[in-house]
Amino acid sequence: MSDPAVSADAPRAQGVLRLRASSFPPAQPLIMGIVNRTPDSFFRPGVTWDESAAMERVHEVIADGADIVDVGGIPAAPGAQVDAAEEIRRTAGFIAAIRAAYPDIVISVDTWRHETGRAACEAGADLLNDSWGGYDERLADVAAEFGAGLVCAHVGQQLPRTRPFRVAYADVMADVLDQVQRLAARALAAGVRSDRIVIDAAHDFGKNTWHSLEVTRRLNEMTETGWPVLVSLSNKDFVGETLNLPPEQRLPGTLAATAVCAWHGARIFRVHQVAESRQVVDMVFAIRGDRPPARAVRGLA
Amino acid sequence: MITAAAVCPAPPLLARELTGTDPVLPELRQACLDATAALLAADPDLVAVVGVAAETRQWDARAVLDLGQYAPALRAAATCPEQADGNRDHAASLPLPLGLAARLLDEAGHGGSRALHSISDRATAWECAALGAELATAAARVALLVMADGSARRGPKAPGHLDERSVPFDAEVERALRTGDMAALLALDAGLASELMATGRPAWQVLAGALAGRQPASGILYSGDPFGVAYLVASLTPVAEGIGPG
Repeated sequence: MSDPAVSADAPRAQGVLRLRASSFPPAQPLIMGIVNRTPDSFFRPGVTWDESAAMERVHEVIADGADIVDVGGIPAAPGAQVDAAEEIRRTAGFIAAIRAAYPDIVISVDTWRHETGRAACEAGADLLNDSWGGYDERLADVAAEFGAGLVCAHVGQQLPRTRPFRVAYADVMADVLDQVQRLAARALAAGVRSDRIVIDAAHDFGKNTWHSLEVTRRLNEMTETGWPVLVSLSNKDFVGETLNLPPEQRLPGTLAATAVCAWHGARIFRVHQVAESRQVVDMVFAIRGDRPPARAVRGLA
Repeated sequence: MITAAAVCPAPPLLARELTGTDPVLPELRQACLDATAALLAADPDLVAVVGVAAETRQWDARAVLDLGQYAPALRAAATCPEQADGNRDHAASLPLPLGLAARLLDEAGHGGSRALHSISDRATAWECAALGAELATAAARVALLVMADGSARRGPKAPGHLDERSVPFDAEVERALRTGDMAALLALDAGLASELMATGRPAWQVLAGALAGRQPASGILYSGDPFGVAYLVASLTPVAEGIGPG
């Protein structure tokens, strides 16, 4: 047995996360508002396919309290092929328009491809949200080159845009911890700054509903690594299967999972419904004691 | 001899940390700080503080208010393991009014001597006046900081709900302080004050005893009841009896 005092498994304290010019301490949870430039995403498909509708959506998520805008050009689910050129066409110009409208907002691009990551960074993106577990190793090089952040997600053995098929883990959280920490180490080796690396359990990705419930229940094991943890729970199938509800009825279940992850110390919440998520996360961080009430007078007058 | 006196309320929300992100009543805090600064400007040898608590006694001048009693999250944030030994003789929290007064003195930059006294919430007017007289002779130049609240029953949303008798009661206290009518403070009805949740009654009567018939000039710096509790901030300067310029 190794000495527990020097064990790699000993909890590490969360540190400051830096994105763009901002520094975010562990006590400041961040809401990432999803803006899809796709005609075929699972939740409200196509509503922001049109660029002006997408920009309206950006205004809305920022007004609702989003700290980060996450722009995606390809749905996670299998479907019509979108090559890198088309993905860039959908995202890069739009990111430039957001950057022009909001000089200080943190912009994230949801992609696994380094070509798209590069175009997005050139257009003003600050965070490369790789949901597919480092499939394209050169994405980390782009993050390093541009000083951008990088999300290191667990997908098990999944390839981009594939659904889990009879996946099995001896211990799903052990697999999550192993994969995200290996990806984080690879990002560091590629030159990504340590205060710009984020880890993500990637609920539903390479996981059945039981697996996603398990990683939610044990999310503290991710926060105890010291890496800032992103969770993307919003209206996902594990919520739908748990409650037997279609996507448009998954908000309460999403918020319940959000609350549990916030309680465990997740720091970035990728969501469709920004205002509701903001309230839940701020409330849980106040319960944790990490955030003061907005205005406390009851019993104090 | 009392060279100056100040009256401030003692709600927990006077501690800025307790109200969360919103400062809530910055103007009340500023008025208290101004009254405290005026007190210190009188160049006292000793600042005597009086506030109401369960018993009449003197407190360690180095003790502080434990805000964790009101906001446990703040205690967790403020307490480092090496500070949590609890073996210091001043580790016990001060009563709220004295703790808030100590904070005001710290914030106003008072580094000189201070004496912290609580007066029992059941003390008679005579007992209060006696403590006041004792404090007045504790040093050649004594500044007296009185922490006292009016009725907490000033509206339907007040902590004690509405009792309409609170309005004339608090008006009489304010009149007495504004005009320097110390006899009126000594004459306050303790039973009525208790019914009205006007917790400051004994402290006002200590003030009256300390000024012993010397009608002070005074200014009211704040008067209001934004949360149904009467807050009054006053700055008093005793006149006559040989205390002249120079």
